[in-house]
Amino acid sequence: MSHLALVKSLSHLQEEQKYSDEILLESTGLAFTRGTVAEIIGGPSSGKTSLSLSLLAKLTAAGEICAVVDSSDSFDPCSAILAGVELENLLWVKCGGDLEKSFMSADYLMQAKGFGAIWLNLNGLPQQKLRIVPKTYWYRYRTHVRDTPTLLLVTAEEPVTGSASQQAFIFERERAVWSGSGRYKLLREFCISLHSRKRFEGQPRRTRIEADYTDV
Amino acid sequence: MSRLYACIISTELKRDKEVLQAIAHQFSYSIEMLADGILFDVSGLERLVGKPTQISQKILEELQKQNIPGSIAIAETVETAALLARQEHGSSHAVHEPETFQQLPLTDLPIEQDTLNIFSELGVNRVKDLLAIPEDELVSRYGRGFRDVVDVIEQKGRQLLTPNVKDSQVSWGYQLDAPVENFEQLIFLLNHGLERMFGEIARDALSTEHLHIAFKLTNKTKKAYEIKTSFPTLERAFWLKLINLRISLDPPDANIIAVDVVSYFTKPRPAQKGLYAVSRPEPERLLLTVNKLKNLVGEENVGVPVILNQRIAEAFTLDADVMPEGRERIETHGEKTVIAFSYFHPPVRAEVLVREDRLVFVKTHYFEGHVTEYSGVWKANSKWWDRSWKTQEWDVEIENKGIYRLCKVGKEWFLAGEYD
Repeated sequence: MSHLALVKSLSHLQEEQKYSDEILLESTGLAFTRGTVAEIIGGPSSGKTSLSLSLLAKLTAAGEICAVVDSSDSFDPCSAILAGVELENLLWVKCGGDLEKSFMSADYLMQAKGFGAIWLNLNGLPQQKLRIVPKTYWYRYRTHVRDTPTLLLVTAEEPVTGSASQQAFIFERERAVWSGSGRYKLLREFCISLHSRKRFEGQPRRTRIEADYTDV
Repeated sequence: MSRLYACIISTELKRDKEVLQAIAHQFSYSIEMLADGILFDVSGLERLVGKPTQISQKILEELQKQNIPGSIAIAETVETAALLARQEHGSSHAVHEPETFQQLPLTDLPIEQDTLNIFSELGVNRVKDLLAIPEDELVSRYGRGFRDVVDVIEQKGRQLLTPNVKDSQVSWGYQLDAPVENFEQLIFLLNHGLERMFGEIARDALSTEHLHIAFKLTNKTKKAYEIKTSFPTLERAFWLKLINLRISLDPPDANIIAVDVVSYFTKPRPAQKGLYAVSRPEPERLLLTVNKLKNLVGEENVGVPVILNQRIAEAFTLDADVMPEGRERIETHGEKTVIAFSYFHPPVRAEVLVREDRLVFVKTHYFEGHVTEYSGVWKANSKWWDRSWKTQEWDVEIENKGIYRLCKVGKEWFLAGEYD
């Protein structure tokens, strides 16, 4: 009977499985679930790009291949390096501001399966255009990523994924901290508050994002 | 059932190569050419010819008939046969019996010179001397690599015959009865060609990662495509999709009247999937996806970001010829979230109100607001020897908006991007 002690209980195994399916960002305390659509919504300078890069850094450092669908050619590889992203493990797709190409690119990437995360960055695209995207697209994406290790991360200024996303976070910049005085100032950090759009209980979480002036 | 291998070592291999191959073919279909001789599998000939000594005599007779010098040995392993046959460097007609193996000098074995010197000082000069030492002692003293030597002296070597393939490529061509306008109409035909070529490649236990496709066109020109992958594969459906994608990127400018395909050989891919390996797209799927994306957004818009070692405004580029590698970082850095920058393409033109050398108000097509904080001016210039490039930059926080990088080029103001 002593051998049975070595056998893990079903609930224990399910717990382990659940944990391995999550990507936990210790710096913000957010956990993203693989095989789902997650959305980060925020206005200008709300930290959504910083957090997305942090997520890509975590996955690419472990050897996973991730992809960026850069809808409006806004991706800055230098920021990615500072965040710790392994550029060799990153596929960059520039869509030149074309909404249709962005969505088709994301579709192709999801069909490939096996990507750690696909970041569909819709920042900079006109909101009117984004609003006319049929909701069925998002349900199609949800079906594509289900039962795969891929996390589809969508960043936009306004909510776009509706109920197709399992997690949706709203980011707001409470304040920006500047150091120095007079003309000799430097941007130091953002104080961000974030709360889930799906779960209204609980207080918004607060985090800081620091500036890094290291030369890459 | 034990195997039997024959080895003929010749000093005149260049001259006698074809004759040696013909002799070996009389005894076996499984042949490997060596740098100094020929190895072939004679397993099963015991029933037809007799004992190994009789098989050796038979081979020797053939050599004598052709008047070729050679040293022959037959043994149960490839290594033993080769070592025995090399004893006298193929200088004469000689047959080496397996019993003489223990008398071989250690210098014939793949042992490092330092180790040989130690053995020599200890009086261990022949295989039989080495066999007298417990193998565990040898392995613990000279490392796991010495296990291979122990296996050879105990005649337990695991080397197999490797087929020597003369050709490095296989080709297929087809002349069409009528010109074809669209390549897609040829896919079924190409599928047939690939099936034949890949069948030939697979027969030699090889694979391919490079295809050369040439079309003869009605305007009497040729259009050629080099299609390479970063991994060898014989998956026909994958190659057909890849060929179709590549050709649709740069289609022929006239109707096709003939197609020629050359496939280059390479070693097959060792496939090993680890339990703990992180998930990545299959190489075939990744390559196809990248090519689909290139078709969609343009060849130059899909790839891996690369940082340039230059002092220019956007010191990075996209390398469209590189695929993501999935390389794991050995050293771990602590997780950190840093303020990221995000470019506006094209930069947003701005009107800036400056009062008493201070930035006061920014107005763009999309928003306007008072400047609450700013840092700068940061002056940047580079490549002065090539072209004049100068900017003045500020980081500005705009009331109820974001934090932007404001640039002044000449007299024009722009927002280059946003800190997000």
